[in-house]
Amino acid sequence: MNLKKSFLIALVISTIGLTCWELYWRSQGYYPTLNDEKALWSMHRAKVEKATGADVVILGSSRAYFDIQLNEWKAETGKKPIQLASTGSSPLPTFNDIVNNTDFAGTVIVGVTPGLLFSTTYPKAMPWERPQAKVNHYQDRTYAQRLNFLLSIPLQQNLVFMSSDEEEWADDIDLKALLRRIKMKPRTNNPVMPPFYYFGDVSIDRNMSMTTRTAQDTAFANKIIDVWKFVGAGAPPPDKEATMSFFLNDVEKFKAKGGNLILVRLPSSGGVRIGESQGLPRTEFWDDLVRQANVKSYHFEDYAQFKNLKCPEWSHLSAEDAQYFTTELAKLMLADNAITTSKTN
Amino acid sequence: MLFNSLSFIVFLGIVLTLYYSKLFKWTNKKRMLLFASYAFYGLWNPPLVILLWISTVVDWTAGKRLAVEDNQRKRKFWLLLSMCVNLGFLAFFKYGDFLLENFVSLVNSFGFDYKVRPMDIILPMGISFYTFQTMSYTIDMYKRKIKPARTFLDFALYVTFFPQLVAGPIVRAKDLITQFYEEKRATTNQFVWGFFLLTIGLFQKVVLADTLLSAVADDVFGSSKLLHGIDAWTGTLAFSGQIFFDFAGYSTCAIGIALMLGIILPDNFRYPYASLGFSDLWNRWHISLSSWLRDYLYIPLGGNRHGITRMYVALMLTMLLGGLWHGAAWTFMVWGGLHGTYLILEKLQKKYVPFKITKWNGVFLAFITFSCVNITWVFFRAREFDTAWNMIKSMFYLQTNGEKILDSFSIIKVCVVIGILFLCHWMMRNTSMKELSQKTSPLVLGVVWAILFFLIAIAQGSGEQFIYFQF
Repeated sequence: MNLKKSFLIALVISTIGLTCWELYWRSQGYYPTLNDEKALWSMHRAKVEKATGADVVILGSSRAYFDIQLNEWKAETGKKPIQLASTGSSPLPTFNDIVNNTDFAGTVIVGVTPGLLFSTTYPKAMPWERPQAKVNHYQDRTYAQRLNFLLSIPLQQNLVFMSSDEEEWADDIDLKALLRRIKMKPRTNNPVMPPFYYFGDVSIDRNMSMTTRTAQDTAFANKIIDVWKFVGAGAPPPDKEATMSFFLNDVEKFKAKGGNLILVRLPSSGGVRIGESQGLPRTEFWDDLVRQANVKSYHFEDYAQFKNLKCPEWSHLSAEDAQYFTTELAKLMLADNAITTSKTN
Repeated sequence: MLFNSLSFIVFLGIVLTLYYSKLFKWTNKKRMLLFASYAFYGLWNPPLVILLWISTVVDWTAGKRLAVEDNQRKRKFWLLLSMCVNLGFLAFFKYGDFLLENFVSLVNSFGFDYKVRPMDIILPMGISFYTFQTMSYTIDMYKRKIKPARTFLDFALYVTFFPQLVAGPIVRAKDLITQFYEEKRATTNQFVWGFFLLTIGLFQKVVLADTLLSAVADDVFGSSKLLHGIDAWTGTLAFSGQIFFDFAGYSTCAIGIALMLGIILPDNFRYPYASLGFSDLWNRWHISLSSWLRDYLYIPLGGNRHGITRMYVALMLTMLLGGLWHGAAWTFMVWGGLHGTYLILEKLQKKYVPFKITKWNGVFLAFITFSCVNITWVFFRAREFDTAWNMIKSMFYLQTNGEKILDSFSIIKVCVVIGILFLCHWMMRNTSMKELSQKTSPLVLGVVWAILFFLIAIAQGSGEQFIYFQF
């Protein structure tokens, strides 16, 4: 047995194999990206522990994530916010975490996606379980997990094949995802979710921006729309009473600590907006929430500068529009004294 | 720290560099290994290293006293002290909530309305492994089977040696401590073979267990519905493969890493799914635990020295406690009880209906054994009796009206992987990987190695914990 020889052969073949693998996926249009994962969220959640009254924390679902751009916010207000919004999530578990587990008394901006905020307080339901898993990870993460994440950053940023996203996108390229692509005749008549493709890039500071392909390729954007249609059709009715009660309880605690809460209804378009208007009418949900919370609030429909914004896939703004939206939103808030500027001339 | 993580790659690189550098003499290398082992454990939860220290100090002291003490009562005291501390840790950290919960149920069954909040105690990783390992030292010292460790450093390293600290193999003192007395360096062949074993172990964990099987097992056992028979069998087979690849993968990594340091650890698995009966299974599955249970529980309970009935009782008690070792739940006891029953039935069959095993009926017998083992895995994996019972109903009544939750590809994937696993175990049952590799040309071995490495790299995984860490 000549193990040294075998080892050298293995080393050469696997190096060539992985190089070809990397080059192949790059030739298919893939580029290195960070994974939007619990570890990244936790890294930013840790910043809240030391945040001051001048800091801003953003909570909410994917709209608050895609539509508020951190650099533009900083350019207007002088300080980069801590982005803790996350996809497919109710903001209630994360707001509850910040109110009850930290001393933070600065500004919290809660992006309101009515279908998610008013969805449920049931711990096993997806809109609750997803953000709660992030909170749990932050509280339970080990030093080894922190180290793993730090070591993985340069690899994720430089190698296409190092991308195993928690979201399990239909176009992921890790081995599990490639096997998921194999489709056979279904065994049941249960509805099958359309493929959900990757459509936003996240940076190390958790700035999320829509990919150029989603913004410019209508056919591709329509595939994302198919997913919203599927999710919307299967969504259970909202649980306004439980969600409002849970949220308002935390709002009162936060205000009692001296915190500044701002509610923002972010843009939607097309079928999603129609569905939201029918299923969760503004007067019944948003207006009631604002009235009972009694905090500063901004609804995109109320401002001329936002009325013409169109979401390419009906739910999120393109990177360019998100930059414009962020700049204008920050200006509005500054003008209202809802937030203060840290900018120095 | 997990073997299948980036931090471990860096950690191992640093340890190997320091170990093979000329900076340290042997004693300092051992100190470095000990410090690295504490870091390996502490990066998970630093305060729980204190438990390791307590266990180490108590058993070192007990062992030292047992070596010189002739007074039988005093010897018993030192043995009991060691047992109380180690079993006390287990009772508190692992079984505290279970005992409390059952106590409350018992009190309530007498009509009292007694309520108490669970203690929610954190379970220290690998506590069942290192407590059993250090207890074996004091028991062997009490029985005068071994000599005491020469130095505290040797003993502390025996308790804490990072490759096998959190999930075994559970190594006996005579097999490991003595290896620390003389300087160890792996030969080039040992080092490369160790690296090959590490690759095999990671392939089993990352590709086979986590990528190909875990999702199906999780879906099936996570379902609260009464499932279609095919789904229930597929989920059970998937778990059967997952737990083997996960645990054998860890053991293979541990043996490989130790070998890269020139330390030899014993085998923990020998192709168990091709076992011919259940005695054979327990000689092939988690060998270090089954031999521990045999030597320190079954034999002290009387073994086969006091007649057949007593032997069956000892066997059943051993298996029930072996089940409980895996987790604080009645489902684990049922798992142990089923294995105990299988072993008793097998002994009865050998006595009253003996038959010769040939190569023709052998594969059939191996298949029957494997099928029976699968039934026990249902109780091992299900968190609740209701889930386990639903699964058993689906598997045996072949519920055609049960819920179908798996897609066709998942079923085919699991059947192919488990089919290959069974055949490989059957073909390898009388040989070893080392023997096979010696017969293989370096080119073929190199190509296979490259494929394994490539698949690990593209599978990546999310650094999921090994199942046996929770035990």
